[in-house]
Amino acid sequence: MNIKPLVIGDLVAKIPIIQGGMGVGVSLSGLAGAVAANGGIGIISSAQIGFNTPLFEKNPLKANLEALAEHIRIAKEKAKNGIVGVNIMTASRNYEEYVRCSVKNKVDLIISGAGLPIDLPKLVENSTTKIAPIVSSVKGAKILLKMWENRHNKTADAVIVEGPKAGGHLGFKAEELDKLEDIPYNFDNELKGIIEVVKGFADKFGKHIPVIFGGGVATNEDMKHFLDLGCDGVQIASRFVATEECDAHENFKQAFINATKEKVSIVKSPVGMPGRAILNDFIKETKQGNIKVKKCYQCLTHCDPLTTPYCITKALINSVKGDVENGLVFCGEGAYQIQKMSTVAEVIEEIVGTKAAV
Amino acid sequence: MTNVFEQVQKIIVERLNVEPSKVTLEAAFKEDLGADSLNLVEIAMELEDQFQKELSDDELENIVTVGDAVNFIEAKM
Repeated sequence: MNIKPLVIGDLVAKIPIIQGGMGVGVSLSGLAGAVAANGGIGIISSAQIGFNTPLFEKNPLKANLEALAEHIRIAKEKAKNGIVGVNIMTASRNYEEYVRCSVKNKVDLIISGAGLPIDLPKLVENSTTKIAPIVSSVKGAKILLKMWENRHNKTADAVIVEGPKAGGHLGFKAEELDKLEDIPYNFDNELKGIIEVVKGFADKFGKHIPVIFGGGVATNEDMKHFLDLGCDGVQIASRFVATEECDAHENFKQAFINATKEKVSIVKSPVGMPGRAILNDFIKETKQGNIKVKKCYQCLTHCDPLTTPYCITKALINSVKGDVENGLVFCGEGAYQIQKMSTVAEVIEEIVGTKAAV
Repeated sequence: MTNVFEQVQKIIVERLNVEPSKVTLEAAFKEDLGADSLNLVEIAMELEDQFQKELSDDELENIVTVGDAVNFIEAKM
């Protein structure tokens, strides 16, 4: 496979792989730093990033902002000169503060999905931080980039396309997922359409905007497929979970290794979009009805603790701390393909193909 | 010029593929008309183009019903 570096403005990643952000607490400075040090782009998830600190129960926002700054600092140290970014969900409460904190701590790249990050260009103004929205349709790409042009006269530095096989929150309705499942790569036409739309904006702004595809990319063959289609890189998350460097609990990593194809399922989420996760006791419980919320951690803008199906903060913290039956284990479609523990370097080498390794 | 409501209604009917009779001032975009956040932004952008008015992000956030959209535009005329 002919591997070209992934260029985002003045950022150059030798390996065109972005490690997808995984929250809560799955991709922190450990994993992101390792991916960046190995030539890819490492992404910290800002979602409830302070969950492991004493301050979190009392003041989650303050705990999160402090932890975010700290993880960016450590990841950049581990990365040597590699590229470190943050994934901040648009649906996060206090979204702006997380963005400002990331910019202040000189993160290289901000990736935002789970909603339309309409104000993101304004929030990173006068900084070197690059911005990449996540879109899942031609329509989404068009609307967001048009909006950015109209309001800010700016465009994206890169565009991440998440297909229907991605993990965590998905930009598709449950009915759409049913239609798209089990037909290999049938999202390709949509992806080609998005590449066209992005090119239109790139030409208008006189620059190249790389398109990075994520969602079910797990092997060398998958990566080759998407580069051949015209993508500049791929986003891979699940493959990095069962690595020594991943920040999650050992049980969380084992859940990925043990997962079978049948266990990868769709769950509804308080974010309002369906999510993909490993089938366990917790998911079975959500299907019986809403799970009462004992304490609200103020994580999402549009979540009412009285009517939400369950508390997503609690569910994700349970799993990342090792209680993988009573928590939510988000995963991508390809999670079942993971058979053993490895290191970040081994995963990258396997996906890129040894000959092309730099 | 037709009134604002009629123009807004027309855009919503086209974009969301719903019966005109369902698009009342009280109808909520998400609950009653099945719009998602993408549809809402798309509709807002079309309204901005058509009326040559810009909705602020706060206003955009606060549009729940068709009446909200109509009010925001009328207030700017």
